[in-house]
Amino acid sequence: MSRLEAKKPPLFISEPLTRDAVSQSLSLLSGILKSSYGPAGRLKQLHNGVGGCVCTTSQSSALLGHLCLSQPVLHVLTASVRNHVSRFSDCGLFTAILCCGFIENFRSLNVAPFTVIKISKHLLSLCMDHLKSEACGCQVSVDFSSVETLVCLVRSILTSKPACMLNKTEVDHLTSLVLKAFIFTVPCHVETNAVLGKCVVIPVKGGRVVDSTVLPGLLIEAPEIQLGKPLAVKRTGSNMIKIALFSVSMSGDGSNPEEGTIVVRHGVSLEVSELNQLLNVGKQLVKDEVGLVVCQKVMHPSLKQYLKEQGVVAVDRAGLSLMDPLGRVTGSQPIASIHSLPPGCYGSLKDLCVESFASKHFLHLIPGDTVICSLILCNRSETAWDELKRVCETAEHVLQHKVRKIVPASTLRDLGCSQTQYRLVAEGFCRSLESVARSLSHDGEEVLTDVVYGHCWFVPPRSPCVSRWSDLVSKCGCGVSGSTEDLSWSFLQGQSGSPVLQACPQEPSVKVADLRVLDCFAAKCSGLQVALETANLILDLSYIIEDQN
Amino acid sequence: MCRTSASLGSVRRSLSRSSAAALAGAVRGALGPRGGRALLLRPTGEAMPTRDGRRLLEALSVEPPAARVMAARACSHRAATGDGAKSFVVLLAAVLRGLRAAGGGAGLRRALRDFEAQVLERAAARGLRRHLRPAPPGSLEPLLEPYLAGRLGPGERRRLARLCAEMCRRCAPADATRPQVLRLLGRRFPELHAAVPGLPLASSRVLPGIVLRRDFAAYCPTDGELRALLVTQPLRPALTAPGVEFVVDSEGQYLASLRWITKRTEALMKHLQSNSVKLLLSSVKQEDVVIYYAKLYGVSVVECLSSEEMALISEVTGVSPYVPFGDDMDREITETAVVTFCQPLLLVSKRCVHIGFASVCAFQPHCLILCGPVDGVNEQHAAALQEAFTMLQQLFKTVDQRGEWKVEGESQSKASDVCSWHSSATQKQLVIENTCNTNQVSECQLKALSDETERKVFDPDKCDLLVHNQKNHSTSVLVAHNADIVTACEGLNVGKGLEETCCHVVPFKPEESRASIAQDYSNCLIEAGSVLPVGGYFEILLHYYIQDYAKQCQQSEVTIVSNVVADALLSIPKALYQTERDGFTKFYLEAINLLKKNQPLPVNNEGLESVYCKYQLVISVLHCVTELLSIDLVISIRRPLQKFEDRDSEDDT
Repeated sequence: MSRLEAKKPPLFISEPLTRDAVSQSLSLLSGILKSSYGPAGRLKQLHNGVGGCVCTTSQSSALLGHLCLSQPVLHVLTASVRNHVSRFSDCGLFTAILCCGFIENFRSLNVAPFTVIKISKHLLSLCMDHLKSEACGCQVSVDFSSVETLVCLVRSILTSKPACMLNKTEVDHLTSLVLKAFIFTVPCHVETNAVLGKCVVIPVKGGRVVDSTVLPGLLIEAPEIQLGKPLAVKRTGSNMIKIALFSVSMSGDGSNPEEGTIVVRHGVSLEVSELNQLLNVGKQLVKDEVGLVVCQKVMHPSLKQYLKEQGVVAVDRAGLSLMDPLGRVTGSQPIASIHSLPPGCYGSLKDLCVESFASKHFLHLIPGDTVICSLILCNRSETAWDELKRVCETAEHVLQHKVRKIVPASTLRDLGCSQTQYRLVAEGFCRSLESVARSLSHDGEEVLTDVVYGHCWFVPPRSPCVSRWSDLVSKCGCGVSGSTEDLSWSFLQGQSGSPVLQACPQEPSVKVADLRVLDCFAAKCSGLQVALETANLILDLSYIIEDQN
Repeated sequence: MCRTSASLGSVRRSLSRSSAAALAGAVRGALGPRGGRALLLRPTGEAMPTRDGRRLLEALSVEPPAARVMAARACSHRAATGDGAKSFVVLLAAVLRGLRAAGGGAGLRRALRDFEAQVLERAAARGLRRHLRPAPPGSLEPLLEPYLAGRLGPGERRRLARLCAEMCRRCAPADATRPQVLRLLGRRFPELHAAVPGLPLASSRVLPGIVLRRDFAAYCPTDGELRALLVTQPLRPALTAPGVEFVVDSEGQYLASLRWITKRTEALMKHLQSNSVKLLLSSVKQEDVVIYYAKLYGVSVVECLSSEEMALISEVTGVSPYVPFGDDMDREITETAVVTFCQPLLLVSKRCVHIGFASVCAFQPHCLILCGPVDGVNEQHAAALQEAFTMLQQLFKTVDQRGEWKVEGESQSKASDVCSWHSSATQKQLVIENTCNTNQVSECQLKALSDETERKVFDPDKCDLLVHNQKNHSTSVLVAHNADIVTACEGLNVGKGLEETCCHVVPFKPEESRASIAQDYSNCLIEAGSVLPVGGYFEILLHYYIQDYAKQCQQSEVTIVSNVVADALLSIPKALYQTERDGFTKFYLEAINLLKKNQPLPVNNEGLESVYCKYQLVISVLHCVTELLSIDLVISIRRPLQKFEDRDSEDDT
């Protein structure tokens, strides 16, 4: 008998944001995130104290996913940032730091949350209008005819995560791989509804990073295939390989989806009858000149043996996740019945060969024309591999996502204001944005901003105080502007009311390829909006009711 | 076994003492356009932001039985009108407090019933009604924005009000069909929206058609219009069924049966194709074989639809599910839905099915893609919108008279109407003379009353009581807001300034409306579609007219109740203006003065609210008070009571 326990009354906390515990947690979280931000960000080691693996990372998805937060208010913040990351795979730290900044800055204003939210919402709409307008100097459009900007975009994502422990050659190698993989997924013959293909990441732990490679088509792990033996595959008249793809189980164990009972007379064996049927299918496949049979589930050993004897390559246990790309590579429907094989159910391949990476054997399916490719990702340690995989997927996602518009990081500044409250809120707004820009520097570098373009410039720490900053700085943080003219720099530390910024020069003084940091524009815009909405949601909380049962 | 907990007197005290006040204190912070949000933490660790009165009351899970009754009544009122759970609690607490101060007793309980028939309905029909105006045709934003302001954060209400109005407009292009469509929207909103976490609210939009939150089991792209079939059972014929034995005599027979099943499935798909059915909408999961043949014959399949989604599609298209079995495979399939488009839709990283249906009813199917940073916010928005649809339905309802005061005879009512008109004119003059001194005003009013009601039997006790009560009232207003007569005058000047700047004026035609009241003797107190500006106007008007009509009342207890209710009504504007210093005093004095001068009230630009909902709120509170006062004994029992199915319990989903 279950024990009945009296229901505990709910805990009622009013004005949750005024509590010290909340502000301490908030500043701690914001400190952790700020120190991880940007290409020079510091790494965090996450472990649970009782063993298991240690996660070394500076990525928001890993950090926020593993941190245990005691304050329910912060759960809202992390949930919101993680949702943003799952959508855009980029700008997670930016969103989180900005959101913390908004909360900290607005809370200290002594203006009613209602007013703060209204004004900040208005400021946000001004920001969005500016960012989306032609006059905004932050955008760099990508020229798809040259790969240089794309290379830069990928490289800035790879280098922004130092936990991958990549050296320069490795970064260059991976950049070219990710880009190659992306280009494979773009269809050659563009119809009205072009659909990007898919890049399947295959983990190979224990190899060197430079051994990573990208291959068109698909790789299926096939442990039974012996390396060294030349693969003799039957080909059709037009020198193609016919492939049959099965999604139905071919194990012959008589699995039955029926709900009722089946009564079997003595001497009748359903298993034998099913195996006979499977062998019939095998005969049919051989007759139809099929060269490769792939089954999603298990294949009966007798059938496998039979196919092998007939010179047909048979692979089973391919798994559900491979079925869709397999269908797209071969142009066939996975067959769901072993009782009839319609004539048009086979697909075709150009070639088939065996590849091996670090003691693993794969069957490489080479199609004639495809948008599917496989990225074989090697790394030495498991932790670093996880981080590397996340980064590569991010890079791939960003490329696919919104490659049309990108924005150099750290160039978000805003407008002036008139009335006291409006000014206070606007200042808080600017301070939050600036604090994100400032947290790009981790070695005590001074952060400058110029009043012409609003870009960020870094100066080594303890530099002599000189009258001409242009002697010290050569290139802005993102690399768009060079120090060719006097841009009247000033320290970035919370003075607001910056003048109206000009657009960047039409012809940048440097080649686009030399740019250092670029972010996805769509992700950045959405991150800014999400950060403010989440901060407003948290500021609007007037009490918490906690169910303690 | 039962145990009586207390004596009669203490029961009544415990009923009305702290429960209502405590509940009101808990919800007051979330009331009105400037109210804050509460974060509800569930035992599972989920955090859910909300300002919904019902959710708040449920989360508080109050212990005392009287408080539980109050919370339940507030929730059932909310479920019926889509609005007012927080106001309900605040008003209830104020009425109970007032009645306790007036001494309580069985007489007051009886008087409550008489009050509704004798005073409240008269006040509504003769006083309040003249100020009402029809809802602006076509535009819903002025109603939606203040409604959403009561349950969403300041940054979100405008955007959501626009989305909600756009949704109504596009789902019901013709105004005439709107009530019907609003009912459907309120009922089916969970199936008519899709929440997308991780995107800013600005990305939300209204899409034509319906979004089903699952991927195609099979997708065969087609262009243009196509036909769809609804299915509720597996399309692969079964070898056996539950309770049926299939006897296998030989291996050949078994294989032949399996082969027959496959052939039969294929034949069915062929049949669908020949009937140009290109989409199967199934409520059950179909076998792989079915999906396979559907792909081969160019039929798209969506499976595992919920029963609500199936019901919605049936309602929109007027098609009932198809029953496939029967030997006659050649029969033409007639029950098909016309689909204008059918395509995959990517929401975040989830693939969904986006289908456009040709509707057979007034409802033009559209759905709302609701974006927000976290799921909790989306849930809050969706709940607010669903209730907004319920609230909008109330706009098309009327309040009918219940009391028998009109049955007395037309001529008499007419006469009394005219009489009351004259009396208010006299009052007006008196008021002008004594604009600044409210204490004097009430005494003058009393004199006017006593002059006018000569027929009434006058006993000195009652008169004393009246005077006492009136004074009580005026002082309570002034004391509560630390305003002496001087500040009241200042407040008035400010009010006049406001009046000048305000360009919108409530259409107010005393002569016409008087005539219409005299002629229009239907049973209707408040006409459908009546609205008032938000911001406490309803409460002030009703407060004023209740006091006005209470004076004509012969029973002293009804008069006491009238004054209690009239004062309690002010608790809502007080709560609304609590953040501004002296905001309520200014508003109150300005409004009362204009009313006394028989002038129209100034209108703010903040929006409108449905009078039906507001009036219903007052009625519900009065009923709840009567119920609470009628309890004489609280009995504590050991065994759990069987749970009654509340009207609102289904609303939870």
